[in-house]
Amino acid sequence: MNQEIILEACDINKSFSGVQVLNQVHLDIRKGEVHALMGENGAGKSTLIKIITGAYTKDSGRIFWKGQEVEINSLKDCQGLGMACIYQELSVIPALTVAQNIYLGREPKKGKTGLIDYKKMNRMAQELIDRYEFPLKATDIVDSLGIGLRQLVEILKGLSCNSELLIMDEPTASLSGKEASILFRIIDALRRQEVSIIYISHRLEEVYMLSDRLTILRDGKNAAVLEKEEIIPKDVIQTMIGKVVDESAGSRKTLTRNTNEVVLKVEGLTRKGFFENVNFEVRQGEILGFGGLIGAGRTEVMRCLYGADKYQSGKIWIEGKEYVPTSTRKSIAFGFGFVPEDRRGQGFIPLLSTNRNTALTNYDIIRQTAFSISSKEELEMCKKIIEKIDIRPADPEKQVGLMSGGNQQKVVIGKWLMRELKILIVDEPTAGIDVGAKDEIYHILEELAAKGVIVILVSSDLQELVRVSHRILVMRKGKIVKELAEGTVTQADILEAASGIENQEEVAG
Amino acid sequence: MNKNTIRKLVSAGLLLILILIFTISSDYFLTLGNFMEIFRDASVVGIIGIGVTMVILTAGIDLSTGSIMALVGMTMANIYRYTLLPIWVMILAGLLVGTLAGLFNGVIITKFSLPEFIATLSTMSIFRALTYIISIKQNGLITSQALKARSFILLGKSVGGIYYVIIVFVLLAVIGQVILKYTRFGTNLYAVGSNIKAAQLSGINTDRTRALAYVITGFCAGIASVFMTARLQSTTALLGEGMEFNVIAAVVVGGCSLAGGRGDIVGTLIGAIFMATLDNGIYKFQINTAYQLIIKGIIIICVVVFDSWYNNFMDEASRNKKLKGVGE
Repeated sequence: MNQEIILEACDINKSFSGVQVLNQVHLDIRKGEVHALMGENGAGKSTLIKIITGAYTKDSGRIFWKGQEVEINSLKDCQGLGMACIYQELSVIPALTVAQNIYLGREPKKGKTGLIDYKKMNRMAQELIDRYEFPLKATDIVDSLGIGLRQLVEILKGLSCNSELLIMDEPTASLSGKEASILFRIIDALRRQEVSIIYISHRLEEVYMLSDRLTILRDGKNAAVLEKEEIIPKDVIQTMIGKVVDESAGSRKTLTRNTNEVVLKVEGLTRKGFFENVNFEVRQGEILGFGGLIGAGRTEVMRCLYGADKYQSGKIWIEGKEYVPTSTRKSIAFGFGFVPEDRRGQGFIPLLSTNRNTALTNYDIIRQTAFSISSKEELEMCKKIIEKIDIRPADPEKQVGLMSGGNQQKVVIGKWLMRELKILIVDEPTAGIDVGAKDEIYHILEELAAKGVIVILVSSDLQELVRVSHRILVMRKGKIVKELAEGTVTQADILEAASGIENQEEVAG
Repeated sequence: MNKNTIRKLVSAGLLLILILIFTISSDYFLTLGNFMEIFRDASVVGIIGIGVTMVILTAGIDLSTGSIMALVGMTMANIYRYTLLPIWVMILAGLLVGTLAGLFNGVIITKFSLPEFIATLSTMSIFRALTYIISIKQNGLITSQALKARSFILLGKSVGGIYYVIIVFVLLAVIGQVILKYTRFGTNLYAVGSNIKAAQLSGINTDRTRALAYVITGFCAGIASVFMTARLQSTTALLGEGMEFNVIAAVVVGGCSLAGGRGDIVGTLIGAIFMATLDNGIYKFQINTAYQLIIKGIIIICVVVFDSWYNNFMDEASRNKKLKGVGE
């Protein structure tokens, strides 16, 4: 390993309206290493990255690039030095082709005419794609690509600048197992070519597997810098959250209520183009996990079940009677709760307060006064929920858009806890949420199940599926391909079923 | 086949159906002379449509184009009446005013972050009012102003049976299409309309890109005004009233998405001919003006409904394909 330091950030301080977000933070990156940056949400990772890439200005501190002090005031400065950032939110442009996206803003031109040389651009892009064996064509229009492939386009964009440092912020958040394994291979190849990578991820396994070194931030301060051989998973988590993690959390569980009563039964549910002939049963108090890759059709099944989309054929039985979900309103009144996959986009209204957000689905049970809903009762119900699941800040009037991801999700789940629930569907409930909040959300789900509520958990986080669910169904290409019952379910089992056996080796490697 | 190509064929198909209906129902419709008239009308709409296509590609809108036409026309009328400047200077001054009006739109939209709709709704009123202020009054009444210079009137005429305005439109359309497809500015327009955040992160000056689209629209409205007034040999404060509707309709019928990022000049060309054919055909039917407007309104609604249905349909189709193709 080369010991030359390519980027060094020293004593970085940054505060927003009086709150110190970064406090004397230090980060150094060696040439050709994969350096993981970890920390809970709000630990200051994003702020640090934004300072390095010129999106924010630091209050004080110095940044060195290859030993020279530099001022980075814009993204252009950052790119000029040879850094590229692959963003968490997808920053590709659907209307353009893969090649146009890669070379956006620096298209090769034809001689003096000033016109774009498409031939050259497509050739350059295709060479780049082929070099890393991406499953893409330079002339594909991005609009027609799935989310995972779009992310690969973004990575290509970073690679195309011959960058010496790539910053990857949650790069696998929306990738399928196969796509992620391609990414890991690319990261390995880049490492061999002496490209340094700052790798930010909530998926601990990935970090252990990939990184050469690890910097942990906690509450805006450096908590630890670890060499590869010093990285011990349990210690890392503890350093991140600063408290001891429940050890028994990973063990398998059995149904608390020993009932065999089937409450929900789905028969031959089909929505053309999304899923086909989906059959499953759920017993009272059971947490049923749904595994599979992005685009396998899990979310779509749940949306139909909840009445948000229409299906073409199939039957749904609840407590022995046929149930036809014609609208979400009907489903809510019936006892459904639904926590959507896209938290920010579909889960809550960012500009409204916690209070209003939790009341939104519950106006039918909040007492009406002569002219309006009782805002007092609304507030009281909200306070109860805040206390029950520890939403922070514990202020019902706080705008949800300004809260951390974990607390936002608690608001989304919290609004369902006000009701008499029969079935709660949660779709990727902990995506992008820090470890502490994850645990709390698991506890909420387990508590509900213990009370006899059916919980359906859709998740791409294998650890989560294995840990929380009693039983796991795996979907692939719109079909349920495997049922993994209680007992010895491992993450590998799910992955194998989800991606088809042919990918097993890649994933393992 | 590409989704956008199919969409364009649909537009062209609609146009053919329209022509077919009018041909069957009127003996006077399918004649060379009538078609020249249609193309002539389509050209004025189409010239402005080139600019508006760029604006709509960025997910913007421009409602002030009709008012810009009037302002340009009245500026030229004033120069013609009160100065001895040569005609070409008069035209250039007119185009300059149009371009500046577009620049004003672009600046207030980008620098003050005004919603495009509100900004151009306001300037639609402001530019029209300015036209009234500078229009020449006789006995306190605003009258139409003559623009009868021989070299100017010539612009409203034809050469070899083809009106100059058609030639200019075709020329500008080609230039516009090349700009969209083969220049960075063109790519930037699509990028801004499709995902403005990503465009910013890619180092594109999104404000300048958007503003430039309005500037071009102002310039195009100026050109349209020159040919319109040359044809009328005069101008009034009411010139171009309702023009913004025809232009936006043409652009949308041509397949431009109001959400931005999709469409091009070829589509707008088809759309402009479609709108002109509709006007012409309805006129031949001798339908009351009020009903003409209703028919036009309904057609716009149908096209937008179709667009939304069509997009869903195509998305579904591509999803089906992908679902089968995963992992293979």
